[in-house]
Amino acid sequence: MSGELHILGIRHHGPGSARMVSRALRAIKPDAVLIEGPADAADVVPLAAAAEMVPPVAILVYDPQAPSDASFYPFAEFSPEWQAIRWGLNNKAEVRFIDLPQSLRPRRVAKGDAVGEQDGVTAEAESLSPAAPRPDPLEALAHAAGFADGEAWWGRLIEERRGDDRPLEVFEAISEAMGSARAELGPTPHDPDEPAREAHMRRSIRAAIKEGYERIAVVCGAWHAPVLTAGSLKSIAAKSDEEIIKRLTKHKTAATWVPWTYDRLAYHSGYGAGVTSPGWYEHLWLNHDQITAKWLTKVARFMREEDLEASPASVIESVRLAESLAALRGRSIAGLDELSEATLSILCHGNPLPMRVIEQKLIVGNRLGEIPDHAPSVPLQRDLTAQQKSLRMKVSADGTELDLDLRKETDGLRSRLLHRLAVLGIPWGSLTADQKQRSSTFHEVWALQWKPEFAVAVIEAARWGNTVHDAAAACVQEQAERAGELSELTRLLDHVMLADLPGAIDALISRIQTLSAVAASIGGLMDALPPLARILRYGNVRKTDAALVEPLVAGLLARICAGLLPACGSLDDDAAEEMLGRLDAVSAALHTLARAEFTEPWRAELRKLGDADIHGLIAGRAWRVLLDAQECDADLAAARIALALSPGNDPGQASAWVEGFLSGSGAVLVHDARLLAIIDRWVCSLPAATFEQVCPIARRTFSTFARPERRMIGESLKRGLGATQQTASEGDDDYDPARGRLVDPVLRLILGEVLP
Amino acid sequence: MSKASKEASGSVSSVMRETAEKQYAAELAALAKVDDRERPPRWNLSPWAVVTYLMGGKLKDGTEISAKYVGNRRIIEIAVATLATDRALLLLGVPGTAKSWVSEHLAAAISGDSTLMVQGTAGTPEEAIRYGWNYALLLAKGPSREALVPGPVMRGMAEGKIVRVEELTRVPSEVQDTLITILSEKTMPIPELNEETRAVKGFNIIATANDRDRGVNELSSALKRRFSTVVLPVPDSMDDEVTVVHRRVGQIGKALELTGEVPAMDEIRRVVTIFRELRDGKSVDGKSKLKSPSGSMSTAEAISVVTSGMALASHFGDGKIKAADVASGIIGAIVKDPVQDKVVMQEYLETVVKERDGWKDLYRACKDVL
Repeated sequence: MSGELHILGIRHHGPGSARMVSRALRAIKPDAVLIEGPADAADVVPLAAAAEMVPPVAILVYDPQAPSDASFYPFAEFSPEWQAIRWGLNNKAEVRFIDLPQSLRPRRVAKGDAVGEQDGVTAEAESLSPAAPRPDPLEALAHAAGFADGEAWWGRLIEERRGDDRPLEVFEAISEAMGSARAELGPTPHDPDEPAREAHMRRSIRAAIKEGYERIAVVCGAWHAPVLTAGSLKSIAAKSDEEIIKRLTKHKTAATWVPWTYDRLAYHSGYGAGVTSPGWYEHLWLNHDQITAKWLTKVARFMREEDLEASPASVIESVRLAESLAALRGRSIAGLDELSEATLSILCHGNPLPMRVIEQKLIVGNRLGEIPDHAPSVPLQRDLTAQQKSLRMKVSADGTELDLDLRKETDGLRSRLLHRLAVLGIPWGSLTADQKQRSSTFHEVWALQWKPEFAVAVIEAARWGNTVHDAAAACVQEQAERAGELSELTRLLDHVMLADLPGAIDALISRIQTLSAVAASIGGLMDALPPLARILRYGNVRKTDAALVEPLVAGLLARICAGLLPACGSLDDDAAEEMLGRLDAVSAALHTLARAEFTEPWRAELRKLGDADIHGLIAGRAWRVLLDAQECDADLAAARIALALSPGNDPGQASAWVEGFLSGSGAVLVHDARLLAIIDRWVCSLPAATFEQVCPIARRTFSTFARPERRMIGESLKRGLGATQQTASEGDDDYDPARGRLVDPVLRLILGEVLP
Repeated sequence: MSKASKEASGSVSSVMRETAEKQYAAELAALAKVDDRERPPRWNLSPWAVVTYLMGGKLKDGTEISAKYVGNRRIIEIAVATLATDRALLLLGVPGTAKSWVSEHLAAAISGDSTLMVQGTAGTPEEAIRYGWNYALLLAKGPSREALVPGPVMRGMAEGKIVRVEELTRVPSEVQDTLITILSEKTMPIPELNEETRAVKGFNIIATANDRDRGVNELSSALKRRFSTVVLPVPDSMDDEVTVVHRRVGQIGKALELTGEVPAMDEIRRVVTIFRELRDGKSVDGKSKLKSPSGSMSTAEAISVVTSGMALASHFGDGKIKAADVASGIIGAIVKDPVQDKVVMQEYLETVVKERDGWKDLYRACKDVL
């Protein structure tokens, strides 16, 4: 062997490791830097040198045929691998990824699409996990050294190490320690790919030596270090490695860079190989001295920004407490634990709430990386980036709010883009709850937050088309073809209108017509109508062509009117309840449209319903709608109520009728005492047994009234219906003229003889 | 030495409750012997040894140190580190989370003296924190050092010891603020004599406070800033709490000379379960939601329920604690408000206690008392 081989065993995302790797590389001056990373990402590695590349970023390796089968290899500024890549590229050394290419790894998703689980990310994090295998070798070594956990031990020995000028010796020690840990723990079949991965790494190292590189540096997880050394290369036959690799089947992959976030680097977002505190690690990487003071100052400044009290005196005290805690625990400098405890007990006065914000914003951080424009990406991504730029929409991992006035052109375009992305399943923006309640039609409030996994969603969506518009349209078309329910289609149409996809609208409308022609269920038709009516009503605000929808509404309505009466023919209570909701929705939708050509046939149909012998709920409601629409006068309504409540009717049917007529609002009873009197008389006339049967339904009906309505109804009943109706007071037998005459003289005295 | 210890042990039997430094004199001495780490000025032990004293452990020479505080070691570490930086310590928590207990043992371990103590009440005057006068002398001789009666804080300052202020939030705000000068300037002016007492190194204050009780006076932010706040939580796990109760019951039983045996873990577990369930508002298995009573349902109350049960058993029973012995204590601890809490308790009895396997005796006993 001619080549000089240095194995630099590191902990992924460890700033101390990164610092030592840089130092070691400066000392070795290698002409080849081999890094534990998927070999099929080789094409995109040189991009890391681009000035526009700002970590955190990740290499994304995916199968173009099944983009959801994607793996991420994230790098932060303080990742040793990142430092090694940068060093190699800047110093004209050969930089190679030597880990088993993704193309040779067995696919993990055999069962269709696993997307949707974990926000669409099937982040294969294993290859970057800190000296991956469990049981953690670090734990074993840490216990031997008397530390509570591996993290603390490694942090103390490596990550917080400063001013070390013999990095190579440290790496040798790491390799040795891991070697004994591996021997102790035996082969750990935790990662089934591990033998193949290590075989591939060895093969790549051998190849590099053969090619004549003189000084080779290998940057890999500490766990792998002992099996990659010159000794291991000799003791493990090249042939057996070749055989392992030959056994694997190959599939096609593509690689690209995507922006990453600190949030994703952290453990708590379900990414198994991260670090708990990227923000803190960044701090360790950027600052070489006075780590404690600088960190606590940062915390205090942050607190002041958040309008929390944090005086310089408290910072001084916190530094002192952190340092004395570190001394108590026998650490040379305060670690994150000590700093957080000092922050909590002094700066936050023991209150955990501000601490949580500090954790989220400072300790984890929310930095989002950037990648150069010329990084390879799917055309859809490029189109999206271009649109984001031209619309001046900032891509950020922070949640921001976007208030759009749709009457302005740019805002309209922005809204359109967001709606199109939503159609494609890329929920960059979501309408805020605020927005949903607000009824204004030219105003939208979006909450925007970019998540790294959207990169995968974009690649997945790329199969639909090369621009956001084309992709969204194609996506809608396929959804339309798959949809079996009419209401599903009309909801889709609603989205399409908002996303302004004229090409898709035609297809969608013809699909709706086909489906509505064959639809057997009146319910489905009725569900489909309200969204369409909404489009017809508001569509023009967005400059979309609502005229397309008009014939559709007319067609649907005609079918509904034709089938409504038979459909209401024999309903049980539950079905009637359901129909009531639909009846209301259609009535409300048509009412807002306020077009005679739609309302006329509908009301005619309602009149038929009201007179038909159907479930009382529906009949009652039909009359109510007509009364509210002033399609029938109060006399007619009173007659209808009287008819429905006449003693010959079944009390169950009658009470359902009352419920249908009254539920929702009692205003009619407040304004028309006659109706109230009829119902009052009906209730009073019920025999005891029937009353018990009717009472719950009546109660349910009245409980839907607004409180003031109920009070007013109650008051007018208390006054006696006679207060408004003279006829009733004549029959008042309680008045005794003889007793009345007794107070007569006194009244005369008081009033001065004015009484008749 | 042996004579002294005999005297000490002799006093144990007559004094109702020994101070921590006397009760654990042996442990403190053993710790001091092996402790070779650096000690802050006038500290009897190094910070490490103080933490060990509170958390318990085995020393190099084999001496077993009992755990005084069961819970997170980090909390005690923060408290000790705070005192080592000569910053004052504020122990915060709901009633019954061992605030005073921790503060007493900290003072005992650090200064060997836990008696310098100001009990905060709504009527605590400024003199209790500063100094008073011997009025006879004052009238006879005029203002002089002899006529001055120093309070605990002043003595602590002069001797360089830890002073405890219990229930700081009960003290009226204007009296609380007396502490500001003492904590920031480390001096106590005596304007009458045109003198001042300057604090000797080693002086510090441990205050305990309770943030949820009624009638508390919130600390001013000027004062708050001078304290490190350490929140003592209610025990995290059931096992921790059972351990705490078991240990304390044993100690108290010994002090009260109860002949009854310390009840079995199972009985204690039952009591702790009831307290935890009512405190958290849900059953241990997480299946049913419960109403919480108005009391705080602290561990300290659980301890007193078990000890009173023990007393009942040893004086009126066969020394073995039974369901009936704890039932009255449980009801007394829970039903603080005769109307609301009674409803809570009845509901709890019917929905949880009655259904639980092996709890029939307790159910019946509680029903009888209620």
